[in-house]
Amino acid sequence: MKRVWSIGIIRGLIFQLFGTGIGVIFFTTIRTILGLGWKTEPTIVVGGLFGAIFFLIGLGAFTDWWRAALGQEVLEPHEAHKFNGIRRYFEFTLDHKVIGIQYGVLSMILLSVGGSLALIFRVELASSGLQILNFVQFNTLVGLHGMVLIISILTGISAVSNYLIPLLIGADDMAFPRLNAFSFWIAIPASLILLSAMFFGGFETGWTAYPPLSVRGPMGIQMFFLGVYFAGWSSILGSLNLITTILKMRSPGMKMFRLPILTWSVLATSIMALTATQLIGLSFQLVMFERLLGMGFFTPSEGGNPVLFQHLFWFYSHPAVYIFILPGLGIISELLPVFVRKPLFGYKWVAMSSLAIALTSFLVWGHHMFTAGIEEYLRVPFMYSTLLVAVPTGVKFFSWVATLWQGKARFPVPMLFTLGAIIVFLMGGLTGPPAGTVSTDLHLHDTYFIVGHFHDTMFGGFVFPIFAAIYYWYPKITGRKLNETLGKIHFYLMTPSFLLMTFGQMRIGLLGMRRRIADYDPNLGFDSTHLLITIGGFLIAISVLVFFVNLIRSAKKGEIAEGNIWNSRSPEWSLLPSPAPINNYENREFRVVGNPYDYGLTGSKYVELIKSEEIKNEVES
Amino acid sequence: MKHIAIVTVLVALLTIVTNYFLLSVGLLPVEASTQATIIDKLFNTHFFIISFLFSLISVFMIYSLIVFRNKKGQDEDGKFVTGSTKLEILWTIIPLATVISFSYLGAKSLAETRIINPQAMTINVTASQWAWSFEYPDFEITSNTLYLPVDNQVNLQMTSLDVIHSFWVPEFRVKQDVLPGENLVKELRFTPSIIGDYTLMCAELCGGAHAYMNSPVKVVSEADFQSWVDLESKADDLNPVQKGEKLVKNNGCIGCHTLDGSASVGPTWLGLSGSEKSLMDGEKIIVDDKYLMSSILNPNQDIVQNFSPNIMPSIYADLFSKEELEDIIAFINSLH
Amino acid sequence: MSSIQPSINQIQKKLAISRLGLWLFFASDSFMFGGLLISRFYLLGNQKIELNQFLGLVVTSVLLVSSFFMNRAEVMISRDNKKGFLTSLLITILLGIVFLVGVVGLEWRDAHFGPADGAQGAVFYMMTGMHAFHVLTGIIFLLFVLRNGINGKFNAENHFMVEASANYWHFVDVVWIIFYPALYLMGS
Repeated sequence: MKRVWSIGIIRGLIFQLFGTGIGVIFFTTIRTILGLGWKTEPTIVVGGLFGAIFFLIGLGAFTDWWRAALGQEVLEPHEAHKFNGIRRYFEFTLDHKVIGIQYGVLSMILLSVGGSLALIFRVELASSGLQILNFVQFNTLVGLHGMVLIISILTGISAVSNYLIPLLIGADDMAFPRLNAFSFWIAIPASLILLSAMFFGGFETGWTAYPPLSVRGPMGIQMFFLGVYFAGWSSILGSLNLITTILKMRSPGMKMFRLPILTWSVLATSIMALTATQLIGLSFQLVMFERLLGMGFFTPSEGGNPVLFQHLFWFYSHPAVYIFILPGLGIISELLPVFVRKPLFGYKWVAMSSLAIALTSFLVWGHHMFTAGIEEYLRVPFMYSTLLVAVPTGVKFFSWVATLWQGKARFPVPMLFTLGAIIVFLMGGLTGPPAGTVSTDLHLHDTYFIVGHFHDTMFGGFVFPIFAAIYYWYPKITGRKLNETLGKIHFYLMTPSFLLMTFGQMRIGLLGMRRRIADYDPNLGFDSTHLLITIGGFLIAISVLVFFVNLIRSAKKGEIAEGNIWNSRSPEWSLLPSPAPINNYENREFRVVGNPYDYGLTGSKYVELIKSEEIKNEVES
Repeated sequence: MKHIAIVTVLVALLTIVTNYFLLSVGLLPVEASTQATIIDKLFNTHFFIISFLFSLISVFMIYSLIVFRNKKGQDEDGKFVTGSTKLEILWTIIPLATVISFSYLGAKSLAETRIINPQAMTINVTASQWAWSFEYPDFEITSNTLYLPVDNQVNLQMTSLDVIHSFWVPEFRVKQDVLPGENLVKELRFTPSIIGDYTLMCAELCGGAHAYMNSPVKVVSEADFQSWVDLESKADDLNPVQKGEKLVKNNGCIGCHTLDGSASVGPTWLGLSGSEKSLMDGEKIIVDDKYLMSSILNPNQDIVQNFSPNIMPSIYADLFSKEELEDIIAFINSLH
Repeated sequence: MSSIQPSINQIQKKLAISRLGLWLFFASDSFMFGGLLISRFYLLGNQKIELNQFLGLVVTSVLLVSSFFMNRAEVMISRDNKKGFLTSLLITILLGIVFLVGVVGLEWRDAHFGPADGAQGAVFYMMTGMHAFHVLTGIIFLLFVLRNGINGKFNAENHFMVEASANYWHFVDVVWIIFYPALYLMGS
């Protein structure tokens, strides 16, 4: 019993359970004292809030901060490696590599959950008529599918950036290791609270939670808001940490334009996540308060305006799309040169295009509202700014193609996924402009065309690249390679199934299939296409299962990866053994002496070890 | 140079093939309004650019992956080229010019779809969960079917009673969200151009039976429209039950209350009056005229078990006159 | 404890990192306040909220003065004047509490509309409530600083906790300087 209790995550979960109870009792007591009766909705909100905080207390997330606030000594992060082996993954551990893997596992779990939710409603949609779900269940599943996968993506990019950024720039850890662990662990109660929305009556609004619909209807929406709110803090604090790390903790000689290109993408992403995320938190908070206290923000009969919500919401949720894809595009740019043995074409342009996308993303939210009844004079400017995003995105595509041109390509699994990502993201990119010009969007808005376009960008910008990244860096984590055959099965099963799915979606969308409907008119003739989409979805699920089998099997049985298996120039492969040592580059401090991607230039080096007698001087200066 | 020449030819060929494929496969539904014709023109321009860019990227990629790949037994590095500022500027400027011209085309096309005809017939559209209602102020008609005379612009003044809905007929292309709130009435104008039957669908998730929030749209000749107007205007000599039936059909009541005994969001009306129901607090009541009236006016009072409060809007005291309410109750009483 | 004493450079680097983190947090938080401000103008436009002008002026002055004393406290500790530091800090905390009482205790009671009374009530209570929450957390931080200051944990070289809390206090003050005209003065 004591052994179980000593495991952080279990302690946290038990605390969350009790904390929720305490919150409920506390709130009910106050209401009783004030002479008010039981009211479920505010009670569960308070319970959820208490639960999340108690989770973190139980885990020990606040212990060191509390000591520091009282002016007591706390250990330096690198001295605080208390746990070894598998145990450290279940604890409040400060090592960025452990946190990266924790994020990764959470992301994959949420990916499976979110994907499975989609499979359920895809079965419903495989033919017209209502078969297995009722309306509220269907809407809840659609909404949770969206939000669970958004959190999966956010944790996925945190996994990549947490594990890799310090290794790529030669830092010994993140800038704020405790904040880093906190950002991860708050995502656990956030996910649990989000999923608990199912048990409080679900919600009808989809992931966008537009009022006034979200002000009415089942109270599961409150758990949805609360879960997203905590996940938002995870994202904000994580990106704060990453920006500081990238700006302040680079190895000697690593100028900004000598950063590994993935770092630039993560920097651009983090700038957006740091600032814009506040707005989704705020918008959801306002609806939450409107429901709890009757504050009239968004209901016209109470003096509010529903369009305001859409402005606040999309001010985050459009940049969010770029938050999701930029790290993925960074992974593509990072891996391509390694596998074609050729420099990344136009490094500075690619780096700057990430920043350009980030900056433009703040100006384009209105294109989600072309039909929403926004002020007339806003539609055309938003169209210009929206299409402007195509320019930096185009720079990335052209640079990739130019990198490939005359490159000596080889095709291990990570390269396959990189190429798949380019093709799939190209589909997403090409289907964007029709949705970006106002008059064509009048037809496309809220149809399956958008669903298809969106899944193309998410798979091309996140899912394919993250798989590429896992196949590429898995040996750095475990010391063993993933199985190539299973990897190829995964790729060759997933890519065509995915294209089948999204082409199907776009096809029926153009012909008049609306989003988020549980049933459709059989006379529209969409039954067979819907069946194909469902089959595509299930094939993707099977291919991901193959991937999971590979992940687990290869950890023990995979081919041992020794040395620089991809023959890469970047420091984590050229300087470090696999798996990466616990203190990163301790006693292997390096300085940057060349450009990161000068493949094909004989005799050039990107990094070199600093001789031990020089270390003190280098670090000091 | 040889490679570039081959690739250029391949890109041109693939562009033509892809564009032909996209145009011939029938991507869009029938163009049944003048706005649809304008919008589809822009769609076709988009399809051409899509075909070209798709061919450009994929041909270059696949060609270089096949032709330059690392052949078996080799282990070579690629050519050392780090970039070209000229090329980068080129592929920044050209896309920039393209997107600006597309934005211009988009703005122009938007303006064309919004040309106002002052003679347009006004129709007041009211959306509610989950039904549409159309009021023709010129003829004092309310209908649950949208009758439109062909080749005449209509001016829809749209509002919602509860949440956000969206007006969309795929064949007309144009779409407009319908917002609640007196100061947020939205306008949508279009000119139907082909006689036929279409379906109006709600395109914005509005909870519950959103999937079924459809209404028939009939585009008819001017003569047929006139005769429909004449027929509908002679509603005065109907008996109360018939009047009630018309009211419930035109105001969306049957979106939630079925007439055939099947379950839905609200209680079915078949056999409702005279039946015994248990309320939420356990009290048993007999459904009579008084209970029906109070339930329509104050839907959140005295809710029958297994139904939820806050679903039915509390707007009917303002919407209906006393006589109309009595007609509706007469209609409900007639359902056995 | 670390066997090697950290060098001056490492301490400097750590300070720079902590400062950057702090300012990034302000950048993030100001987007939330910005969102609230935009909501006020979107919903109410040129409509003036009917509030007790005198009280508004008083609480605003109190908060401004508190920022002055906060600054004095920071200057004092950087000159190793511990007594002056503690006095100024205490005054800051007291003024902060006066501000909270003024807004939450008096203005909220005084206003003739509640949070559920239309867009006006919603905007007013949300903006003041969110700001008051920040003031409250600021006071809590300052109480910790006070406790550590009494225990002699700070000196001229080592007082980042004071600096961070002070910057936070000024940040919250600046937010109010923008909120005050938006709530009390603008509109007709």
